Amino acid sequence: MNVIVLSAVWGVVMMFSGLFIADKSKAKYVAIAGLLVLLVANYFDLHHKFLFASSIGNMLQFESFGMIFVTIALLSTLLYVLLSGAAVEKVGNHAYEYFALLFFVLCGVGIAASYNNLLMLFLGIEIMSIPLYILTGADKRNLKSNEASLKYFLMGSFSTGIMLLGIVLLYGATGTFNLVIPAVSKASENMMVSAGIVLLAIALAFKVSAAPFHFWTPDVYDGAPTVFTSFMATVVKVAGFIAFVRLFENAFGGMTDVWQYTIALIIAATLIAGNITAVFQQSVKRMLAYSSISQAGFMLFAVYSVNAFAKEGILLYAAAYCLATIGIFAVLIKMKDFTFEGFNGLAKQQPLLALLVSIFVLSLAGIPLTAGFLSKYYMVLASIKAGGLLWLIITAMLCAAVSVYYYFRLIQAMYFKEGDANAIDVNPRFKALLVVAAVLIILLGVYPNALLLDWFHIL
Amino acid sequence: MNVTEILFWILSALAIASALMVVLSKNPVHSVLWLIMVFFAISGHYILLNAQFLFIVNLIVYAGAIMVLFLFVIMLMNLNTDTEPQKNKWLKVAGVVAGGCLMLVFVAALKSSGTQQVQMGEGNIGLIENLGKALFNEYVLPFEISSVLFLSAMVGAVVIGKKGD
Repeated sequence: MNVIVLSAVWGVVMMFSGLFIADKSKAKYVAIAGLLVLLVANYFDLHHKFLFASSIGNMLQFESFGMIFVTIALLSTLLYVLLSGAAVEKVGNHAYEYFALLFFVLCGVGIAASYNNLLMLFLGIEIMSIPLYILTGADKRNLKSNEASLKYFLMGSFSTGIMLLGIVLLYGATGTFNLVIPAVSKASENMMVSAGIVLLAIALAFKVSAAPFHFWTPDVYDGAPTVFTSFMATVVKVAGFIAFVRLFENAFGGMTDVWQYTIALIIAATLIAGNITAVFQQSVKRMLAYSSISQAGFMLFAVYSVNAFAKEGILLYAAAYCLATIGIFAVLIKMKDFTFEGFNGLAKQQPLLALLVSIFVLSLAGIPLTAGFLSKYYMVLASIKAGGLLWLIITAMLCAAVSVYYYFRLIQAMYFKEGDANAIDVNPRFKALLVVAAVLIILLGVYPNALLLDWFHIL
Repeated sequence: MNVTEILFWILSALAIASALMVVLSKNPVHSVLWLIMVFFAISGHYILLNAQFLFIVNLIVYAGAIMVLFLFVIMLMNLNTDTEPQKNKWLKVAGVVAGGCLMLVFVAALKSSGTQQVQMGEGNIGLIENLGKALFNEYVLPFEISSVLFLSAMVGAVVIGKKGD
């Protein structure tokens, strides 16, 4: 509750500081201060000390799973602002408003991680989406940005309609918005519950860009200003997964026969569509969009296999994926050319930067010793423990192998191709932060329990 | 069959027929006018459920304000039958198949739940007093949190709509 209230309040504070501080390059410092405040608030949330009473109607439930995810989201956002805050200010004239919108998104993330009621789920998802429609179109002179924003808005509102229909059907069958396992007695109500579950699965699959609802993702991620793509593809996407996992575990966990096979088909389609299409991309930004689709396929395993193992896995996946993707995007923002050729010979000009990008890419590809490997391992193991389908796991393994191809193309471009790629205005602070992110990825890959997963049991 | 039931069937038929016309008519202005018709029919259903507040809000906000905006936008952009883009024939077939499958599933799902009927003409859940009580007691948290949603939408409107970059 602390995070939900304070992030909304800090959004307002951001707007007012825009009124009183003329210098827009100060915006990121106000945002960093806000994120530190939110981290403290989150600490109190984790220990169930609430500044605000929130027990009305039992609509929010603060369990350690959601709260630890909020910690991950806040730390990722802090890293994101530290690395790319300056780029946010370059997008347009409204630096303070952009940061305010980011704080509203964080409010939505807080709700998505703690809702205990379908109404709150709807509000959380919408509060995450609406600021993003605007941030996508923040680059007003760029036609691609405008197109992406409109496309995202239209498709997003359509999927919201589908979600509402699903919620209505569930309400019709159970008579409550609360996340309870539907006690279905009559066959007729069972049909309504099933239809509701399928519609909710479709809407959430759209929000996390799982195939066959992923067609908006490449265009929107490519068209949006790169800084905002970075935020959209990491914190917001993973928050969508947390909402997805919590819904299907808390409400529909006892009805796996209704939806589990559908989710399995969605996973297979997502993995295949994401990985195969990513192979053919020439632009790194677009490749990362498809890579985010294929990573979504792996994260969906947590929805598929409803068990404690999957919950630990998705937390680890969230941390690994956010760190690596924010790191790559931070470097991408500094490049002049977003194609693979644009990275040619980066290792000669900026050896440290090239090494760090390689670590991030290796983590995304799931090479051992990185957090990416371990999180993929957790996902697959969780689905095996849930009695997973063999063909699905084989598909996942094959797709992971395909993903190595396009991730390594980036490494090949940096190390083995001649070129004069150079990153603009890279200062030592930027490099130091990237080193911290890379070290965290390796540490998470080696000591996942000490750093992250044990907290899940302690708190 | 009493008057309420007859009214219900008339309004339902009107709503479905108008909704079909929204999709089928070639001229966007006609589509919007049919959409207004749909809203009127649905508002009629609210009256049958004794929900006067929802009836009046639906008429004022949707049929009134939002549809006028729609009409303005369409007329300002000067859309007419000729400017409608020609869609691929296979795309249309795929759309019909996909939509038909969805309809089949829903009809099958709802056919078996035929025995449930709503109260009509009685019950006072939709009256403004009860609505207000529910909104400020049981549902006060979502009600307050939706302010964040509207605030972010307003900030967005200003950011997008303001002159300059």
